[in-house]
Amino acid sequence: MNSLISLENVSKFYKRGIEEVHALDGVTLDIAEGDLIAICGPSGSGKTTLLNIAGCMDHASKGVVRIRGEEVERGGERRLAEIRQSMIGFVFQQFFLIPTLTVEENVELPLLFSHHKANPSRTADLLERVGLSHRRHHLPGQLSGGEMQRVAVARSLINEPKVILADEPTGNLDSRNSAAVVELFETLNRAGIAIVLVTHNPDLAARCRKVVHLEDGKVVG
Amino acid sequence: MKILTLAFNNIRRTPMRALLTAASVLIAAATLSVVLALDRGYARAVKRELVDKTGVHLYITKENCPIEAASVVAQGGLSPLYVEQSLVAVSESTEGIAAVLPFQLFAETTSDGTRTDIFMGVTDAIRRVRPDWVIEKGGWFENEDSVILGAQIAQIELAKVGDRLYSEKLDKEFKVTGILRKSYSQDDGMIFLPLATAQRLVKREGRLSAIAVKLTDVSRMQEVTTRLRGRISQDYSVIGAKELSEGVLGFFAATRMIMFVMVGVAFGVSVFGIVNTMLMVVMERRREIAYLKCVGARRADVLRLITMETLLICVVGGLGGILAGMFITPLAGSMLRGTLVGYVPAGSIAAPSAGVALFSLLVAVGTGVLCALYPAWKAASIVPMEVLRNE
Repeated sequence: MNSLISLENVSKFYKRGIEEVHALDGVTLDIAEGDLIAICGPSGSGKTTLLNIAGCMDHASKGVVRIRGEEVERGGERRLAEIRQSMIGFVFQQFFLIPTLTVEENVELPLLFSHHKANPSRTADLLERVGLSHRRHHLPGQLSGGEMQRVAVARSLINEPKVILADEPTGNLDSRNSAAVVELFETLNRAGIAIVLVTHNPDLAARCRKVVHLEDGKVVG
Repeated sequence: MKILTLAFNNIRRTPMRALLTAASVLIAAATLSVVLALDRGYARAVKRELVDKTGVHLYITKENCPIEAASVVAQGGLSPLYVEQSLVAVSESTEGIAAVLPFQLFAETTSDGTRTDIFMGVTDAIRRVRPDWVIEKGGWFENEDSVILGAQIAQIELAKVGDRLYSEKLDKEFKVTGILRKSYSQDDGMIFLPLATAQRLVKREGRLSAIAVKLTDVSRMQEVTTRLRGRISQDYSVIGAKELSEGVLGFFAATRMIMFVMVGVAFGVSVFGIVNTMLMVVMERRREIAYLKCVGARRADVLRLITMETLLICVVGGLGGILAGMFITPLAGSMLRGTLVGYVPAGSIAAPSAGVALFSLLVAVGTGVLCALYPAWKAASIVPMEVLRNE
C-alpha cells in the first residue's frame, strides 16, 4: 500500500522549565492508505506528540517526516497548512465545536480555510454517514457527547482527507457512545481512509489492525 | 460560511462583554461626533453672523491683532485702545466705500450679576451698513437717553416702546424708542444707544471702539483695504470681517482644546476596553484557535478572524455613537452656549452632518483595527501543539 505519512527516527525534545523533556526518541512509523492504527501507552509516553508531528502541527527535533514522500521540514507554515487542509482530518477528545454554529456550519468550518465552496449535498452526505442528518440545524449545546464527537468526525471528513488522526476520540464518551464512534471509524476505514487513534482504551486498541506501544517516547511494541 | 459569519457568531458567545466594549466605542464615537459638530457649527455660526449677515466688510481698529479686535467688536470689551472719530470722515471720503459705521461698545453686568448687557453706541449709518438691522416697533432715537433694544433683550425685560429702563451700574434711566426685528444674531441681545451717549458713559468722547465699513464692491476689498491703509495712520489696522471671525474663533481655542482632550480620553478608555476584551477572547479561545490551525487556518486567517471580530464590535459601537451624537449634539450645543465665555453667536452652534458622522465612524473603525493588531497577532502566533499539549 502507498505510504501516506512516514516518520523516520523522529525525536522531539522540548523544555519544561529547566528540565528537557524527551517526548519522542527515535520513533519510526509508516502510515499507509487504509491503515487502522492504535497508538497506546501511559500518560506522558509521547502519543499526542507523535500524532501532532505526523499531522504536521509540530516539527520534529530530529529525524525526517514525509507526507507522500515530501519532506515536511522543508515546507513553510503555508505548505504545512495546505497539507493539513488537503490530507489530514483531526478529531480530538474535546470536540472543539463552535457553540454558536449549527451542526451543519461546524461541519463546513474547515472549508473556510481551504477556500473551497460549501457543497450542501456533500455536507448532507457526511451528516448522513455519521447518522446526524436530523440534527443538522441543532447547536452543539443541544447534542449529546457522542453526537458532538460524530459531528467532529464529519467535520474532519469535509476536505476529503486521506488520513484521520484522532487523539483520545472516546475519552469523553460513555461506552455506548464510544462504541458508536469506533464503529464510525471502522466504517470510514473500510471506505479507504487511514485512521490513527491515540487511546488508553485497550478494547478500542484491540479493534485496530496495528497497535503501536509507546513508553518514554520510544516504540516498545 | 464566510469569515464574517464566524466572527459574528464568535461575538455572540459573550454578548454582554461585546456590548460593553461596543458601549465604550459608542461613547468615544459619540463624543467625537458631538465635538466635531460643535466645532464646525460654532465656526459656521460665527462666520454667518460676522461675515455673511452683518453686511460689514472691513473694520478699522487700533488693535493689531484680529483676536483683540474681535474682543472689542464682538464681546463689548472696553479696550484701552481706541479709534479717533476723525477717521470716520477719512473713511467716508475713500473711494469704494459705500457706508461707514462708527461705534462704541461696552458691557455692563447687571446688579444681580446674572447677566452681562452689551451696549453699542451707533449713528444712523447702521441702517445703511447693516441691512438686517431693522426696527420692528417704534422708531429711531428721540434724544440722548433713548435706547433701541434687540428682540431678545426686549423679551427678557418685557419692555415695550415707551418704557423706561434704569441701569443701576450706569446710574441712568433710558427710554425705549424702538425694538428690533429678531435677526437671530448677537443684535438680538444688545442695547443700542446714540453714539455720543455711549461715548459719554464710558468717558470717551470723540473716540470709538472701531469703525465698520461697507464696500460698494466686495470683489475690490483688497484694493480698498490698501487705499484705506494708505490714508490712515499706521497705528490703525484695517481688518476684514473674515479675519475678525477667525479672531473670534481664537477665543474658542481653549474650549476647543478641552473638548478634543475629552475625545482623546474617551478614545483612550475605549482602546483599553477593546484591547482587554480581545485579549481575553484570545486567551479563552486558545485551544479553539489551535484547533482552527489544525484544520488548515493560517496565521493570516486567524489575524483576519480576530480583526473582523474587533471591527464588528467597533462598527456597531461607532454606528451607535454617531446616532447618539445626533441626539446629543443639539443638547450639547445649548449647554455650551450657556458656558461659553467668549463670543456667542445667535442661532444653533451645533452642526451635525453626514461628513462628521462618517468621519467619526471611520475613526472608531480605525481605532478598532489598531486595537485588534496585538490580540490578533497573539492569536495568530498560537502554536497548536503547545496549546493542546499544555492546556
